[in-house]
Amino acid sequence: MSIMDHNGGSVIAMVGKDCVAIAADMRLGNQALGISSNFQRVFPVTDRIFVGLPGLASDVATLHERFRYRVNMYTIKEGREIEPETFAHLVSSTLYEHRFGPYFIEPVMAGISKTPTGKTKPFIAATDLIGCLNFAKDFVVAGTASTKLYGVAEGLWEPDLEPEDLFETISQTMLNAVDRDAFSGWGAVVHVITKDKVITRALKGRMD
Amino acid sequence: MQHAFNPYTENGGTILAIAGADFTVIAGDTRQSEGYSIQTRYAPKVFKLCHGQGVLAVNGFAADGNMFVKKVKQRLEWYRHAHAKDMPIRSIAPRRFFPYYVYNILGGIEEDGRSSIHPVRGVYSFDPVGSYEREACRAAGAAQALVQPFLDNQIYFKNQTPAPGTVFPQHLPLSTVLEIVIDSFTGATERHIEVGDGLEMYVVLSKNSNALQGLRADAHSFQEVTSTADGERVFVIRRDLKKD
Repeated sequence: MSIMDHNGGSVIAMVGKDCVAIAADMRLGNQALGISSNFQRVFPVTDRIFVGLPGLASDVATLHERFRYRVNMYTIKEGREIEPETFAHLVSSTLYEHRFGPYFIEPVMAGISKTPTGKTKPFIAATDLIGCLNFAKDFVVAGTASTKLYGVAEGLWEPDLEPEDLFETISQTMLNAVDRDAFSGWGAVVHVITKDKVITRALKGRMD
Repeated sequence: MQHAFNPYTENGGTILAIAGADFTVIAGDTRQSEGYSIQTRYAPKVFKLCHGQGVLAVNGFAADGNMFVKKVKQRLEWYRHAHAKDMPIRSIAPRRFFPYYVYNILGGIEEDGRSSIHPVRGVYSFDPVGSYEREACRAAGAAQALVQPFLDNQIYFKNQTPAPGTVFPQHLPLSTVLEIVIDSFTGATERHIEVGDGLEMYVVLSKNSNALQGLRADAHSFQEVTSTADGERVFVIRRDLKKD
């Protein structure tokens, strides 16, 4: 079995009207054996940027620490918070450094960026395990349920969803996709990020 | 390096069938591919069986699929000549150790022995060696992983709770089901390279069905392909899908 499937888990990020949402399941397994139903794989980077790390759980922990170090160094040197697009490139270069011995993670990022004129713009991105960037306009998916997430998201997503509607859409996408994947599920968490706040909710879903 | 003849190949494509209260929709895209190449943009995967025996959709290895349909039709005709009545389709003999590499979905037939007041409606899905199950809806083929969870949410209302004081409908109207089928295929076409080109939907209406009334005549161009006079009607609706 692929190393990316060893622990299981899936993440999705979606764009709405002046908001973004990122959601992930909570399962950590050892192949077919479920170990934890409370495994966190989405982390805040700044107030406005979140990163989801599906894949090998050991690398989730390592990359979380590596990104925290690099973002802190950026903040110290630049004297300001990192922007989402810059962070995406930081993720890409960190992964490509290990081109021939990669981390088994396919990161998904969501955030709100500031345009030069001062307006805010929703931002999502994903990379593959060696750092190839994907700046989608609608949604990005990764993890063991990625094909299922693509299918449901393609059916349910529409542009310019308000934060409450985006929450419903991303939640239904996550729940119905992971219910068809044996390696994802066991709970889910959703973060909806707007200009001034982040609302985090835990979803009630099937625990089988 | 030893090279052996591989008797199977994958020809892509996706099929889908949904059973309603008094109708069944059986649909398939029309693209046939091998690897990154498209063999043809129009290769039907859904076939009407004679004498009201339903509509069969086949997907997997196209050569086996076409042969399988041919064999099924032959067997139905043999039975009809031998027994002077139509064969109740329950299972067609599987070849257990050199199977037809096809996933089949059969729709549009009613359970024997039930009255027309409460007909049992469903689609029968088969694996390549004949294991089967009756379900309200099933997707099979290249984009099964994309389509089936969407159907779970839209047909079975999974992970949804009805608004307080209401319930979800037991059966959906034909217009809604056709929209769901079309959206499933356009979504699958977007995200899966082996799906696209065209969509063919067969609609089987049971006797006395007025499911057609709800459809706007200009929105869907029907072609009637009914062949029996017992009241059951069959239509084909064709749509284009993206060709990239």
